[in-house]
Amino acid sequence: MLPFLARRLIVAALVALAVSMVAFGLMFVAGDPAVVLAGQAGRAQDVEMIRQAYGLDRPLPVQFLGWIGRALTGNFGTSLYFNLPVATIIGERLPVTLMLGSVAFLLAILVSVPLGIAASLKPGGLLDRAALLLAVLGQAIPSFWLGLILIVVFGVWWGLVPISGTESWQGYILPVIVLSYYAMPALMRLTRAGMIEVLGADYIRTARAKGLARLRILMVHALRNAVLPLVSLAAVQFGMMLSGSIVIESVFAINGLGRLAWESLLRSDLPVVQAIILILSLIYVTLTTAADLVNAWLDPRLRSA
Amino acid sequence: MARLGLASLMGGIALALLGLSAPPARAGKADDTLNVAFALEPEALDTYKIAGREGLILSRHIYDGLLYKDLDTGEIKPALAKAWRFTDPMTMEFDLREGVTFHNGAKFTADDVVYTLNTVLDPNYGTRFRIAIDWIERVEKVSEFQVRIKMAKPFAGAVEMLADALPIYPAAYFKEVGSAGMAAKPVGTGPYRLVEMTPGIRYAFERFEAHYAGSPKGRPAIGKIVVRTIPELNTQFAELLAGKLDWSWRIPPDQAARLASRIQIVNGPIMRIAYVGLTVAAKAKDYPTRNLLVRRAINHAVNREAIVQAFAGGASQVLNAACNPKQFGCAQDVATYAYDPAKAKALLSEAGLPNGVDIEMVFAAMPRPVAEAVASDLAKVGIRVTLNEQQYAAGVQKWRAGELPAFFTNWGSYGTGDVAFIISNFFGGGADDLVQDKEVIDLVTVADTAQDRALRQENYAKALKKIADQAYWLPMYDFNINYGLSTALNFKPHPDEFARWWLSSWK
Amino acid sequence: MTVLDLDSRILQRRKLWRRINRSTGIHLGGGLLALIAAIALLAPLLAPHDPIAQDLTRRLLPPFWQAGSDPAHWLGTDNLGRDYLSRLIFGARVSLGIGLGVTLCAGLIGTMLGLLAGYFGGKTDMLISFIITTRLSLPIVLVALAAVALGGASLQTLAIVLSLLLWDRFAVVVRSATQGLRNREFVQATVSFGASSLHVMLRGILPNLRNTLIVVATLEVANVILLEAALSFLGLGARPPTPSWGLMIAEGREHILFDPWLIALPGSALCLLILAVNLLGDGVRDALDATSS
Repeated sequence: MLPFLARRLIVAALVALAVSMVAFGLMFVAGDPAVVLAGQAGRAQDVEMIRQAYGLDRPLPVQFLGWIGRALTGNFGTSLYFNLPVATIIGERLPVTLMLGSVAFLLAILVSVPLGIAASLKPGGLLDRAALLLAVLGQAIPSFWLGLILIVVFGVWWGLVPISGTESWQGYILPVIVLSYYAMPALMRLTRAGMIEVLGADYIRTARAKGLARLRILMVHALRNAVLPLVSLAAVQFGMMLSGSIVIESVFAINGLGRLAWESLLRSDLPVVQAIILILSLIYVTLTTAADLVNAWLDPRLRSA
Repeated sequence: MARLGLASLMGGIALALLGLSAPPARAGKADDTLNVAFALEPEALDTYKIAGREGLILSRHIYDGLLYKDLDTGEIKPALAKAWRFTDPMTMEFDLREGVTFHNGAKFTADDVVYTLNTVLDPNYGTRFRIAIDWIERVEKVSEFQVRIKMAKPFAGAVEMLADALPIYPAAYFKEVGSAGMAAKPVGTGPYRLVEMTPGIRYAFERFEAHYAGSPKGRPAIGKIVVRTIPELNTQFAELLAGKLDWSWRIPPDQAARLASRIQIVNGPIMRIAYVGLTVAAKAKDYPTRNLLVRRAINHAVNREAIVQAFAGGASQVLNAACNPKQFGCAQDVATYAYDPAKAKALLSEAGLPNGVDIEMVFAAMPRPVAEAVASDLAKVGIRVTLNEQQYAAGVQKWRAGELPAFFTNWGSYGTGDVAFIISNFFGGGADDLVQDKEVIDLVTVADTAQDRALRQENYAKALKKIADQAYWLPMYDFNINYGLSTALNFKPHPDEFARWWLSSWK
Repeated sequence: MTVLDLDSRILQRRKLWRRINRSTGIHLGGGLLALIAAIALLAPLLAPHDPIAQDLTRRLLPPFWQAGSDPAHWLGTDNLGRDYLSRLIFGARVSLGIGLGVTLCAGLIGTMLGLLAGYFGGKTDMLISFIITTRLSLPIVLVALAAVALGGASLQTLAIVLSLLLWDRFAVVVRSATQGLRNREFVQATVSFGASSLHVMLRGILPNLRNTLIVVATLEVANVILLEAALSFLGLGARPPTPSWGLMIAEGREHILFDPWLIALPGSALCLLILAVNLLGDGVRDALDATSS
């Protein structure tokens, strides 16, 4: 267990370093940050001055090493756009995203896994077809459209929930629904496929022949073996929810990490982008590690690995 | 099946929306709070480092400048300075107003002016736009309520810049907290003070009851302002319809027409213009745009009238000169190019390109359909455009490097009604000038620095004539803005893209 | 699976064929997909108008079921007055090509990486996990912006960028499924017979990943098409005026509150494509399952 975690920690550090480095370079490729900062009214002289004022004229490796050095001491610098500490800005947006992502993820799991199991029991049956249709719609309906419809119906017509913002908990209702709906098809279809496969396997038939209770077979034997890929995918999906569906955050005017990342990229706010990417890589390493641990617990044969 | 279901569901919703019969929105009036939405996040509220319009608007409610321009009359009014004069062509003197207090209670004196301006003059401070301050050499204190500005160079826009674009910060506080501190907790003398802020997300203002008497901004009629960022326009529309918003802007013409029956839509022209810059300078590659006949063909090929009608709407009109007609010095008696595809084709043949020509055009910060319409018109006469969309920074970088034959974008002239703020940038020989016409550069340089209005006007007119004659640009149109307002709000739009909520009131 | 004799193989194939012929899913899904492919191929013959011909005087005409529609434009016109039906028909080309092509490439990359990581474990797994996590943490937008700034837009660039970015789900899912399968009796048995690692992976493990792969692939198709639209809006992707469904959805976004049909139509087309891919996938899997048991 300990060596496993130690290995993972090394991977985490390497990932963070590699991603930071690549991202740093890409930012400069995508558009000189000094030009972006100067804005649309910025002229060539303004760009030069900003370049000097923010030290963007130094060689890239020097800038990057400087950033890494400060980040190691917990100093993520100052946002070029807000002129405030990066930690303050992220501190304001991360909780919103964590809340939204976690609740939506829970909802998605609670709906899609049982639905996937139910659909798998009778492939081609009515329930299965309905689930398929739901999944297809979930994939094809753009989330911004679903979000706006819900806003119009529940916010404008009936006035039941706030239209935008997350000042009250009611503000989370619609975005949670949309975000989880967006994640459901994948989880549901994968559960169904895994279950169908496992239910056809020999040991389940043996168990059935032995007269074990149907529910017990389903839950203990079948599900346990069907969910290995599901757990891994779910971890990735959860990470994607945390990195935020930019579209959903835009539609509901939720100021989460996803939109901050997106906007910061477009306005070349280097320190913010770098900090977010660092956070994201840590989140993903944690999640994938957690998924591996869960899988090892579910399937003891994996533990030797 | 899915298709019909979806379609009818959406059709139903659209119909229901149009027939929506909620009472008119008056939410903000009830609690004397102006609810404002921006699509973009305002920057840190240190005016000197703001490039975006949203942050600048907010900061003008918090801070005051030495002077103030009444855009309705064009008159420069005293603000923090009650009188000013040129003691010589390179020196301005200001008598400051007494009895002005900052939001933190500090008294306004000459020290505030001297410290603020001298601080932001320092290149290390990182003031966003050089043009705003590079004409100032230094600022000196004459007495407790008198200061002197020594100019670094003659600059026709000096008075214009001092009118609210260079705000005065409280020296003691500013010295203590610096730019970051001003961003975290702005303190000014303006008609509103910031009481609560989540940066980029939400800003709450309250009327500053101690705002100085005799302020040209006056005492605001509305007590509170709450500004939120709502990035999705459709969400803004929903909030407008539900009465949760009193003020939003930049509503596209199509949607404004649909909203007009339900909320108050006010339209106003602005200084910003759309244009296609063409690369002519010798340092650039041998682009077809270096050929005068090709440039004229481009000007004849695009049906700008139709494009303006379809996409710009409102008060927008097709431009002939490379500036906004509302600007001082924007001469209108220049060569015009009527929409004439046949002539464009003939010009191409004359240029030795009877089979047409290929050209790359990048568009940035312009609506995609407009760029597509331009490209399609050009294609009809044989100018085959490879249309690429880029972020503004990436596009302008390529432009400055001479790697683009054509760049379609827009320019706001800092909201200023003087051609100096547009032609000197694009035709004055600087980095953005991909024409480098000696004659035009000389004309513009003289006009930019002269104090004599007649001479300036004459020189700009000559320059603009040459620019039009040589078809260095494809000037497109001037923009207008649709504001979506609560029916209970009085709001007057201004062409400089600055919302002045201190002038707004409830009906 | 590996030690079947010839007779039973032929028998199986016949059985499979019979299953396929009887499967409504395959018929429906395959039929739909073939139809969409035919529309894409025959687009110039089917489209009533030139999909890129603009008419600014006839912008945003509504489709036939709404008042004020024009019989010449059965499904209305877009923001530039281009015939919406013709754009839908031509849009099938880009969407189908990008959707299936990228999914295939990304699937190959992801499956390969996942197989290697899951099968060998240890250092290989560590390396590949590193690549997967790095890829997941890297915002797609950033890569896209850099690609646009570097090389400008084209469908090839887009296909390459998307293929290099979207293999993550395949890799993650295949890796854990492979880990689960590696220790199963039948795999261990082949290993003990002395089969090469490649043989075990391709013959022993890969066929058992079929269900998972089909599911992930059917999910990715829609993902790819919508992402293509998002990236087109950043300047990477189908260059204007080339239509694609995703792009049409993205372009209709601004008008969604008042003219929702601008999104409903390409959205429904996308829906049908995904449905077709799903039905076909399910059908093929059922048929294969039934024959192997």
